[in-house]
Amino acid sequence: MSAVAGPLRVERHRRPVAGRLLGSGTVMVTVIYLLLLLVYALCQKNALSMTQFSDQLSNGLPLALAAAGGTLVVLMRGFDLSVAGVIALADVLTATHAADGQMGALLCLLMVVGVGLLVGAVNGFLVAYAGLQSIACTLATMIICSGAALLVLDAPGGSVPEFISDNLTGTLLAVPVPLIIALVVLFGWAVLRRTNWGVGLYALGADETAARLAGIPVRRVKFLAFCAAGALYGVAGMMLAAATSNGDPGAGTSYLLLVFAAIAIGGTTFTGGRGGLLGSMIGAATLLLLQKVLFSLGVSSFYTGIGQGLIMIAAVLIAAFSARLARRMPR
Amino acid sequence: MFEAGAVTKTVVLTDPRGDAASAQVVRPTGTHAPYLRAEGLSKAYGATIALSHVSLEVHAGEVHALLGENGAGKSTLVKILSGIVLADQGRLEVDGRPFEPGSLLGARSAGVSTAFQELSLLPNLSVAVNLMLPNLIKGPTGINSARRNEQAAAALLQEFGVTTVDPASLVADLSLAEKQRVEIVRALSHRPRLLVLDEPTAALADPGWLFDIVERLSGEGVAILYISHRLAEVRRLCRRGTVLRNGRSIETVDLTGTPDAEIFRMMVGTSQDELKHKAAPNRNGRGPRLAVQGLAGRNVHDVSFEVGDGEILGVAALEGQGQRPIFRMLAGLEPMTAGSVTVEGKAADLRSPAAALRSGIGFLPEERKTEGIFLGLKTSSNISLPVLGRVLRGAFISRSRENALVAEASERVDLAKRYQGMRIAALSGGNQQKALLARVLLSGPRNLVLYDPTRGVDVGTKQVIYAAIRSFVEQGGSALIYSTELAELVHLAHRCLVVYGGRIVGDVAGSLLTEDRLVSFATGHGDIAA
Repeated sequence: MSAVAGPLRVERHRRPVAGRLLGSGTVMVTVIYLLLLLVYALCQKNALSMTQFSDQLSNGLPLALAAAGGTLVVLMRGFDLSVAGVIALADVLTATHAADGQMGALLCLLMVVGVGLLVGAVNGFLVAYAGLQSIACTLATMIICSGAALLVLDAPGGSVPEFISDNLTGTLLAVPVPLIIALVVLFGWAVLRRTNWGVGLYALGADETAARLAGIPVRRVKFLAFCAAGALYGVAGMMLAAATSNGDPGAGTSYLLLVFAAIAIGGTTFTGGRGGLLGSMIGAATLLLLQKVLFSLGVSSFYTGIGQGLIMIAAVLIAAFSARLARRMPR
Repeated sequence: MFEAGAVTKTVVLTDPRGDAASAQVVRPTGTHAPYLRAEGLSKAYGATIALSHVSLEVHAGEVHALLGENGAGKSTLVKILSGIVLADQGRLEVDGRPFEPGSLLGARSAGVSTAFQELSLLPNLSVAVNLMLPNLIKGPTGINSARRNEQAAAALLQEFGVTTVDPASLVADLSLAEKQRVEIVRALSHRPRLLVLDEPTAALADPGWLFDIVERLSGEGVAILYISHRLAEVRRLCRRGTVLRNGRSIETVDLTGTPDAEIFRMMVGTSQDELKHKAAPNRNGRGPRLAVQGLAGRNVHDVSFEVGDGEILGVAALEGQGQRPIFRMLAGLEPMTAGSVTVEGKAADLRSPAAALRSGIGFLPEERKTEGIFLGLKTSSNISLPVLGRVLRGAFISRSRENALVAEASERVDLAKRYQGMRIAALSGGNQQKALLARVLLSGPRNLVLYDPTRGVDVGTKQVIYAAIRSFVEQGGSALIYSTELAELVHLAHRCLVVYGGRIVGDVAGSLLTEDRLVSFATGHGDIAA
């Protein structure tokens, strides 16, 4: 109680490393991913080649970005179904309204981010300020965006400018561009989670009342989370168009459930307050790698869904089990 | 807004042996103005009146106690002072200026800071972040610096003598006592001029740490509103206290000159004078109907008791003393870690609510909205739900049989026939509670386990519920009842257990069963007569 004598020393006696690793969903999903990669390498000889890696990255990035966006909302115990609609809309907009060249790509990026931000702002307003349920509101915006996508392009087709489809799936200074994009997103998250907004996301997910009592501007944090999520969905849609070189107004539908699967596998809990973007993005990569592994094992692609579902159950089981184990570790 | 006629008189009892009649009425003429002045505060939640014309004053440098039973309005007052809810009526002044905080931050900027009873820390964030929110310290890059926040938090913890808590650890990893200390340090960190401590020692094994801080702050001129059930510590810290009862401020008393019994009397009220002639339980020589031996579970240690034929056994306790787990274990809603429960000599299976019911225990839960009724269904369907098997004709529900059963059960709880066809959501809380009781009775248990059966119901319904319980036990059943209203237990029960800290600390019956005695046990003081 007396005045502090001598320099301040922050004593550290945190959980032991093993306990923290066990409790971390990101570590778990990375282990699962590496195990799958090992299986893949054993049954496919060029599995670890640069082409394979680059190919996987460009196929996986749309889902990874969408899962990253969804994670922002799930972290604060919300749901954002608009992901399917925004991806579809951004996808067809890229296939119909983008011009060629650097300038065209930049304008296209602004366009899809703008659309995503707009949808996110609507979601955010309805949930944070009007106090409506996130599932209902985002379901509505998903349906609206899917409908709008059909207005832009009524059947698969259109054409993505070569600059976008070549460069976004190519390499820059021998580094795959999708990897650069993923790293940029992760870097942005690393910064943002250390801002008041990032802390607010976790706080809100854990206990909204307590967050309010701690002085966190709850509504603003919610609103911004939906906006940022929307922007990421927009970029995901553009990446999808670049990877497939055409537009498909129905493209979003298959993403809806995979996004939540990737989030769950990545160790972000739907009860909020635990997890992060890196886990979700690795979770997305895991889902796609599983597809490849099953294919290379000669399993019919009809079994992909079953495999993905089983991986998801395994991931959630492991997460629950390891969290219990981590809690029991002596402190 | 505030009417002069509504002022509750401020009474200072000067004579230690004095009764209320000799109390001297003192108008606040004070040599200096009080730091906090509340006048005629009222707050209603719907039809429930939480506060009604409450007035009190706290001076700078004073540690002022706020006393009262559960539901007396203490937490509502805390919420108003903290800016979480707005008062409907009345006037608040802090330091001579009007004080109407619309938010927690508003209250804080006016110098009012609260350590909440239900801890308001975020479990998934570090102690440091919890302490520094919402103004986290930024590093040179403009983003939050974990190291600087931890250093600042460490300095805070050290300043207030908390040496066992690592600022970098997650709040979820702390013990309850450590969390409570962090909660208190957070309130202190805002350098309040008025500090509100709501049950600050509930989880502290060694409150000496807090007493030192409270004494130091009051020495520095901070006004402190101290809310506690524990009269001994209130006496140690506070010279004056205000007693709330049923949402009203009853009296502000000089604690040094007022005996415990007098304070208990003010907390409980004297309205409950009508003495009841309770027929003694008509035991007919058989063993206990419901026997609990060495029961243990979450927050419950070694609880044993018996309820006999025709007996109404009350349970009294302050909030969170373990009574809820006891009842939930008996209802099959919570696992028990040790002990045995026998019904009429046979071991009861309490693995699920359905099993408990089969064993003969009928449970009426506390939260009827979330645990009891199906708001979308008709009243009659709500009542007949557990006995649908008895109204089947073939594989289908026979409406006529159902209606006959429902009508019989409704009569026992005096629920008017016209309500049966209505959706239960349209009924008043009292009638919903009657319907729930009818359902429990219809399911045919021989032992009722009722958790606060009259919470939020009107006086008339209370009488109906009492009558239904009495007639149930007169026909040879047994009833175990927890109530937040001590008056109700004294009125209804033949015998009453008092639970404190997860154990039974008192067992009073017959003429010894008085509210004073229950309060004394429930606050951990033991028997006042002893």
